[in-house]
Amino acid sequence: MSDDPLEELHTDEWEAEMESVLEETEYDTELGLEMAKDAQRLVAGDLSEAEFYERYHGAVVEEFGVDDRPVGTEEGVVEAMRGHDGPGLLQRLADAETADDVDRRELLKKFGAGAAFLGLGAAATKEASEEAAAATPTGSEDDDGTQWGMVIDLNKCDGCLACVTACQQENNTSTGANWMYVFTYEEPNQETQNFLVRPCQHCTNAPCEKVCPTTARHTRSKDGLVLTDYDVCIGCRYCQVACPYGVNYFQWGEPDTPGSELDENHVYDERDRRVDSRPPKGVMGKCTMCPSRQDGKMGEEQVGTTACEQACAMDAIHFGDMNDPDDDPQQHLERVRNEQPNDLDTYPNRPTNTVSTFRLLEEFGTDPNVVYVGNEPSEEAEQVEGPVTYEDIGEVDRRKEVLDDGTFGGVRS
Amino acid sequence: MSTDASEADILRPIQRTSRQYYVLLGAVLVAIGLFVAAWSYQLYHGMVVTGLADWGSGGGVTWGLYIGAFIWWVGIAHGGIILSAAVRLFGMKRYQPVARLAELLTIAGLSVAGIYIVVHVGRPDRIVTSILLNYHETIHSSPLVWDVTVITLYFVMTATYLGLTLRYDVTRLRGELPERFEPLYRLMTIGYTEREDEIVERMVWWLALGIIVLAPLLLHGGVIPWLFALIPSMPGWFGAVQGPQFLSIALTSAISGVIVAAYAFRRTYDWAHILSDDVFRGLTLWLGLFGLLFLWLQLQQVIGGVYAPSNDLGAVTSAMVTHPAYVYAIGMMVLTLAYVFAQALDPTVFSPLRSVIAGVAVLTATLVEKVLFVVEGLMYPTFDLYASIPGDYVPSLVELASVVGTVGIVVLFFMVVAKVVPVIELHAVEAEHETEAEP
Ligand code: SF4
Ligand code: SF4
Ligand code: SF4
Repeated sequence: MSDDPLEELHTDEWEAEMESVLEETEYDTELGLEMAKDAQRLVAGDLSEAEFYERYHGAVVEEFGVDDRPVGTEEGVVEAMRGHDGPGLLQRLADAETADDVDRRELLKKFGAGAAFLGLGAAATKEASEEAAAATPTGSEDDDGTQWGMVIDLNKCDGCLACVTACQQENNTSTGANWMYVFTYEEPNQETQNFLVRPCQHCTNAPCEKVCPTTARHTRSKDGLVLTDYDVCIGCRYCQVACPYGVNYFQWGEPDTPGSELDENHVYDERDRRVDSRPPKGVMGKCTMCPSRQDGKMGEEQVGTTACEQACAMDAIHFGDMNDPDDDPQQHLERVRNEQPNDLDTYPNRPTNTVSTFRLLEEFGTDPNVVYVGNEPSEEAEQVEGPVTYEDIGEVDRRKEVLDDGTFGGVRS
Repeated sequence: MSTDASEADILRPIQRTSRQYYVLLGAVLVAIGLFVAAWSYQLYHGMVVTGLADWGSGGGVTWGLYIGAFIWWVGIAHGGIILSAAVRLFGMKRYQPVARLAELLTIAGLSVAGIYIVVHVGRPDRIVTSILLNYHETIHSSPLVWDVTVITLYFVMTATYLGLTLRYDVTRLRGELPERFEPLYRLMTIGYTEREDEIVERMVWWLALGIIVLAPLLLHGGVIPWLFALIPSMPGWFGAVQGPQFLSIALTSAISGVIVAAYAFRRTYDWAHILSDDVFRGLTLWLGLFGLLFLWLQLQQVIGGVYAPSNDLGAVTSAMVTHPAYVYAIGMMVLTLAYVFAQALDPTVFSPLRSVIAGVAVLTATLVEKVLFVVEGLMYPTFDLYASIPGDYVPSLVELASVVGTVGIVVLFFMVVAKVVPVIELHAVEAEHETEAEP
């Protein structure tokens, strides 16, 4: 690899393709090419937006001047480059990434060559950025620190709910507080049953933490786990409200397992904060990603493991340091990607593999640390009864049924 | 001297206590007792005694009546202080007789809103330590902390306000006030000299300005709606319309509250010449204006949610508009508006009692609407793959007792205050006589 990985993309073919498109316009092809290259650098993060503008502001004005462009002024051109209603250049580039050839030409007409250059540059960078994303699924995080997370291979899951049971036993959660939850769901017009394994996503940009009025919900700086300090939480339940995934389970009444029966090594983490096992009455609980294990309190051999992962006979759950390419999550991703290569000989422009991965509800900007292999459930997906039901494992799915027993003078639903 | 007669008027609640007073006192204490019992039960057994549950796989909603009632009380309180500030700032002398009632409503409303925060959480014993000790961090990001901050700020501002204007009255009426509260009066008027009147008047003006300026930014113009409007994963809540929407609810509820309180005093103490029909007619018009605003904003929201909405927004909007509680709330508002328009066209339609009925209708409508808003929002999250979504929720008797109890507390507050200091400003009756003296 050369110093500038993008150089590799600037092949003759690429230049030829660009030139042919640019030639269709009446603008300076060379300027366009230069801009397109820098647009790629911008996407890769090698160039800041400010630098980009700095570099091309003058040139663009000179090229397009105050002529008959839809936006004729100096500011107008820059505005057009930025996009009118606010999204930054990067966003525009990201949008252009998904544009196909026809759209790109459409863009060209609409916004002038400036925007088109950017679009082309970004489109050509698409594969490069996919590769980059594959290498660091946590995105732009500081790659050095540990970030516990999971790669969950939904194609391997068979809906046995072993992880649900294991988590319940490990943490002594009360009935219905399914920190680990597995959906069996169907898509319209499809026969197959699909699964979605849902622990807490341990979001890097966690809304639950943001709204917490007490700092009880916090991210452990050492390893990025999002935890609840049971001694600080006031039980306002705002975290549950703000979490888009519905992973929080409040301790509405006395826990099923009294505190005296909890293993002491499994309650306080290495900072001596009470963050593990089921929460006491009146505070919030959720999947912890087993900090006692990660802190070595349950033996060195348990570091880097979780109870749900160990219980999964199908090897669907891969817990580990998301920032470490040699750790289980990245290794698994690499493995499945290698198993499903694309036919690059016939279609050289396609991604290297046919593996579909996603992060759940990424559009909320939570930056989750669980990466799924498989297909994301669509908005029309419907949860159905799975091959193994919650009743089968002695659990309760809809917790309200349990809680209603404690409701005073309420109506049983 | 006529002034004496008016002074006597506003002193009447302090000097005269009827049998009905004790009956009402008894009823109010029972209501509060119920609430205390329910809350104790909740403290003992945990939040499980409420009808709440986890949203998601849990099949419930995690916030319900407590939060809805909390918003409702803050709304009443917030609108109350805006009303009284408007009187002072814009010299709306007509409403001066209700200014102090509005301020008292604010103090009482904010207090019970505070109680609701405490009742709502699972570990009330930790509120002070957990919130205060981490305040420097959480104030940057948690809307709930903004809430607590702003409620405290408003409480302090209103109390200052009330305290300052009371000094004037208490000093002048000292001779007529009951002996047994003497230490309190002495404390309230400590260091009073007549020279401060002018300064106090200016201070009160500035405070009023502060309250009005802060009003749209804080409380129901800002932090309370932001509790919801900033949560993008709950489409029924998310969006900029909540600010204005909440403010319109605050103003309608507060004016209704003032109408009800003023009418109660007018009837009990024969204050028809102070709290005149004219005052009620004016308040009724304001109620109509803000009610219209409320409906207009509801319309904005509903249209946005039914005309080509995204799936999640469409689901919550259609669930909301077809809910009987929503129909009730909107229906009450429409009926109120019909009354307001009718009495504007034909003055004989108006009577203070009818305005009170409209006020009570609006107060129930806003409470129902607010609870529904909280609950429906949580029932229809964007991530609705869970079969248990939409969840369900019926407030338990424990939760319902809190509404009865907090209304009781507010009534009790008025009953007690009325026995200690005048609930109508001396200025108001003085002004009245000045204008009456004019030909
Ligand atoms: S999944 Fe929910 S609870 Fe977990 S970190 Fe993200 S926002 Fe917080
Ligand atoms: S329930 Fe506890 S952890 Fe959640 S937001 Fe409230 S104080 Fe924070
Ligand atoms: S990581 Fe630990 S806490 Fe989370 S679901 Fe798995 S076993 Fe439960």
